Amino acid sequence: MLINIIDVGLGNIGSIEHWVKSCQLSPKRVTNVSQLTNDPIIIPGVASAGEYMDRLSSLKLDKEIIKKYQSGQKIIGICLGFQIMMNYSEEDSGVRCLGLLNGATKYIKDKKTHNGWEDFKVDTRKVKHNAFFSKKKQKKVDGRVYFNHELMVELVEDTSAHILSNGITSHVFKDNIFGMQFHPEKSQQTGQDLLKLII
Amino acid sequence: MSFRIGATVLLDCNGKALQSYSFQTKRVLGCIKNVLFFLNAYKVDEIHLIIPLKGKGVNTSKTLAGLKDTPISTPLSVGGGVDSVSLIEITKDPYFERLIFNSSIFDDNEVIKQATLKMGHQAIVGYIPFILKKNTIKIYHSKRNKFIDVSDKFWENLNSICNEVILLDANAEGGGKGFNFKVFQFFNFPINRVLISGGLTKLDISKAKEMKLAGVSLDNITLHSEFSIRGLR
Repeated sequence: MLINIIDVGLGNIGSIEHWVKSCQLSPKRVTNVSQLTNDPIIIPGVASAGEYMDRLSSLKLDKEIIKKYQSGQKIIGICLGFQIMMNYSEEDSGVRCLGLLNGATKYIKDKKTHNGWEDFKVDTRKVKHNAFFSKKKQKKVDGRVYFNHELMVELVEDTSAHILSNGITSHVFKDNIFGMQFHPEKSQQTGQDLLKLII
Repeated sequence: MSFRIGATVLLDCNGKALQSYSFQTKRVLGCIKNVLFFLNAYKVDEIHLIIPLKGKGVNTSKTLAGLKDTPISTPLSVGGGVDSVSLIEITKDPYFERLIFNSSIFDDNEVIKQATLKMGHQAIVGYIPFILKKNTIKIYHSKRNKFIDVSDKFWENLNSICNEVILLDANAEGGGKGFNFKVFQFFNFPINRVLISGGLTKLDISKAKEMKLAGVSLDNITLHSEFSIRGLR
């Protein structure tokens, strides 16, 4: 299967490509609207929200991603890619984002950062209202995932998010969206198991 | 959050991995890509890739360019000679999560500020090789290639610009005689943001866990007893 990877000249595209290939899937770098197919879309991480949204906007990819979301296409956001799914981000003095999820991205309190590994479990039978798990033989992923960030997502009235004990939103499945604050592409075997589960 | 067991690898400008002993003797280990591949397979929590500058100029972006297609799924930090010019090149499509700095901590912090804007504060790691001499701490300054005294202001600055630090016991590096924990008497930085490195033993790793340090970065031991990583967790 083909996987669209948004490439606006920012973010760790190479690592995402490797992750996709490691699961016998075919990554496709998307640098303009005409290259987008009807396959799942990954919005990668490692950049700042302001610069990333500027580039998405100048390439008109922001509006196209919203259209694809509205048409039911699977959208996967990783770290910054997850954060810009919100309405707004505090980064770069405040940035209007894609608004795919109702919430905001804020700095972790007291200028703290979140670096390291956390336990991760997902059981598809317990996740409701999403497009990712239909007809899957594999039902569970159980392992650990790698976090490295200084901003965090705060969703409004959303019970589909998984929150860590330190208050940080780890990930959310909602309809055809899967957003994750951690880096699955750097989460070794768990990251690969997760991609196989959602694609 | 779990205690991290990382590994440090040195890289020369020809793309060869090096082993280092007591911060002086270097031995070529082999192709860096193979070393990264093996560390990835051993499931270390993170890899710290350092280009030893030691007073020499290096073309960091050129040295690192050949690594971009190395298929690893382990968090990677890179450092050694990162300046304003190489920063632009190496952050274009970063296959690493964090940047490691030494010289820039001492003098001009401008490159660290630029790196923070591009990658965020969480991506900034300080590299602090030290020796203890006559009850004082001396910190290695890679551009000057010498261990120097530092003031209280150094620690304040380090705390504000670096998210985490790797504290390397230079005398113990590469061996198995143990990390010198006395350094914490002279070291002024939040310990939950410190990784220690240099001659670590199993006891040292247990002690680091008890102290609630962020983690450890193993040196040569990782590549000599590769199957030990799980046992060290």
